[in-house]
Parts: sequence; structure tokens; C-alpha cells
Amino acid sequence: MSTIVQSIGGEAVTTKLAMRMEDSLQAFAVRAACFIGELDVPYSEEFDGHDFDATHIIACVGDEPVGAVRVRWFQSFAMPERLAVIQRFRGHGIGQLLIERCRMLAGSRGCNMLYVQALPDDVKYWEKHGWRRLIAEEASSGVKRIVAMVRTVDPNKPLPAAEAPESVALRREAELDASGMPLGIVSN
Amino acid sequence: MTVQMTAAPTLAPVVTIKLAATSDELLQSFALRAAVFMGEQQCPYDEEFDGNDYTATHVIMYVDGEPAGTMRLRWFQSFCKFERCVVLRRYRGLGIHHEINAWCKEFARRKGYARAYLHLQKRHMPMMEKEGFRRVDDRVFNFSDHEYYAVYCDLAPAEGAVKLDTLPMVVNRPEDRMDVEGILEKSAARGASNPHAPRVERRAN
Repeated sequence: MSTIVQSIGGEAVTTKLAMRMEDSLQAFAVRAACFIGELDVPYSEEFDGHDFDATHIIACVGDEPVGAVRVRWFQSFAMPERLAVIQRFRGHGIGQLLIERCRMLAGSRGCNMLYVQALPDDVKYWEKHGWRRLIAEEASSGVKRIVAMVRTVDPNKPLPAAEAPESVALRREAELDASGMPLGIVSN
Repeated sequence: MTVQMTAAPTLAPVVTIKLAATSDELLQSFALRAAVFMGEQQCPYDEEFDGNDYTATHVIMYVDGEPAGTMRLRWFQSFCKFERCVVLRRYRGLGIHHEINAWCKEFARRKGYARAYLHLQKRHMPMMEKEGFRRVDDRVFNFSDHEYYAVYCDLAPAEGAVKLDTLPMVVNRPEDRMDVEGILEKSAARGASNPHAPRVERRAN
């Protein structure tokens, strides 16, 4: 496990739940900086319609928002997604700090499983932090762009017989009946 | 045999520009600025969102329906200040910053403003000179890690700009659609029944 910093440059590193409009805007701004600005994700994919049925957690260095994660809640698991840390603050374990806050929050709500969808290149990172693939590599079919991974909220408890789906719908919930991909996609 | 001819699809991107008039459009403006200034230019959040966003006018530009650019306008007595101009990286090189500049100039002009003013990163001077901007004076100043000039551009007076004697219901129209009937003019058809909720005693504390 990487150590999680308490402070950077004398400024305390803290996390907070988004409870005010301004907090949400901070979370959105950090994600926009990372996903739209750095990774060239179109706006309509980044802000996919789930932001107002989710919980947002923000990491701050001093007063400056530098990281964010969104948690969506399902019946049998909580799903952290859109994990972002501003480029120049990476390498300090702020991502893990955010995930840890997700874990504590999920625990306080009686949830015992976390579920993420990881990029194949990031699987090792998640495994290092105690996550495991939901489906063994050899069992998953062909080319997969994302890997479903899970971990228990309480590390001392075994994972419940996998109740998490291999993939969850990434479409807007109001559009679950619509066929195809998320609306508003601009292909690269 | 007849061959059905269909019009060749136009490949030019469709650019639309409007005032950010809903919270979603405002969020789009903020997200684009975060992408460019925080994501590309390392601007800290508190400097990018500096406290003036809720006293300003925001303009949003779409390319084929996707949020692609934005501008913030602030209104002073003798000029309109153009700020936080952004074109998302994937839409650069199309020259569409000229379109949002032109839109904002026209918007300020039709509000009756005779001058647009902005703080320009030094590297953009040649581009903005072509648009008629020139330096206010020789000062060079810096904030958020960039060097700036103050530049301005005179705007031609607009016929029909809002004045004290403009029809009141024209003043009430959505500001980027001043030439078409607004929602409040439609409401006038309901007449004036002067409704008010009755005053009631407060029953709980």
C-alpha cells in the first residue's frame, strides 16, 4: 500500500463530501480539467447525466480542490467512478485518499462491496490496493476496454458471492430503454 | 433507370452561439474553462473561479451540438470586458474563436456599448490585432502565471440598441433574442389579474 500524505507543501490534505453547490462545482471543475482538458473526453460523455443522482467527494490541498470522485449507489454495491487528481498533485496518494473516503462512506451506509470499472492499464494499480477482478482474466471474452473490479468495504470480511454485475449500464437512467450508446456521443 | 440524387451532406461543422441561459449551459461554460485553464494551463481553482462568475454574462459556443467554447462578459460603465475566452483543444484550428469574438462584439454593440476591452495573453496579440484590438497603453502585467496586455476595440453604434425610451416589453426579452417576442410578452395575453397569496398567520415556528 502506498502511504497517503497528510500534507503537501505545508498545506493539509483533506477530503470532503460535496454538500453545497460550490463543492459540486469544484468536483466538476477538477473532472473537467482532467478528463476534458487532459484526456480530450467530450463534455457530453464526461457529464453523462448521473451527476445529480450521485455523491461527490473532493480532495483539497489547503483550500484548493485538487481531486474528486463520484460514487453511485446500487442495491448490492457502491460504485466509485470519475476518479481524478489534478496533474501536478499526482504521486501523493490523493486518489487512494479519495477511495478510502468512499470506503468509509459506504461502510457507514451498511454497504459491504465497492465496484469499479478500471482501464486495463490500471488493473495492477487497483490490485495493489486490494481490489480483484470480478471475472478471472481467462474467463472474460476477447477485447475488453474496461475491467470490472471489486473489493469488500471491510477488508476482514470475505467478498460476498459476486453480486456485482460484470458491467453496469453507463447510460442515463432515464434512457435505459433506449438502445445503443449514450446519447450525445461525439466519436473521436 | 433513374438514380435518386440526394443532396451531398455538408461536412462543415455547425457552430451555434448563445447566452448560457440555464444552469446546464452555465455548467458547460465552467467545465470548458476548467478543462483549458485548470487542465492545460495549471490555473488553481480559486483563481479560475474568482468570484465574478455570478455577476457576469456567460456565452457558450457549440460545434455540432457539443460544448466547444465559452466567453465571460462583464459590464462596466464605459466598456464591456471580454474574459475567460476558451476554445476546447479538439476544436482549435477551425478559426471558431473569431466567431465567438464576433458574436460577443455584436452582443455588446446591441446593448449600446461602444467599446470592448480585454486582457490578452501576449502571445495572442497578432491574432487579436486582426480583429481590431489595440493596446490601451504600454503596461504589461501578469496574473495566474501569464503576461498580459490591456487591449480594446471600438464598436460601431448599433441602431436599435436599448435606450430609456425602448419599449418596456422589448427590454424584457431574452438578451440574445431581442428581436423576437419574449416569454413575458406572451404572458401579457393573460391580462393583469394582480394575483397575490393571502397573508396567513404563521402556525408553526
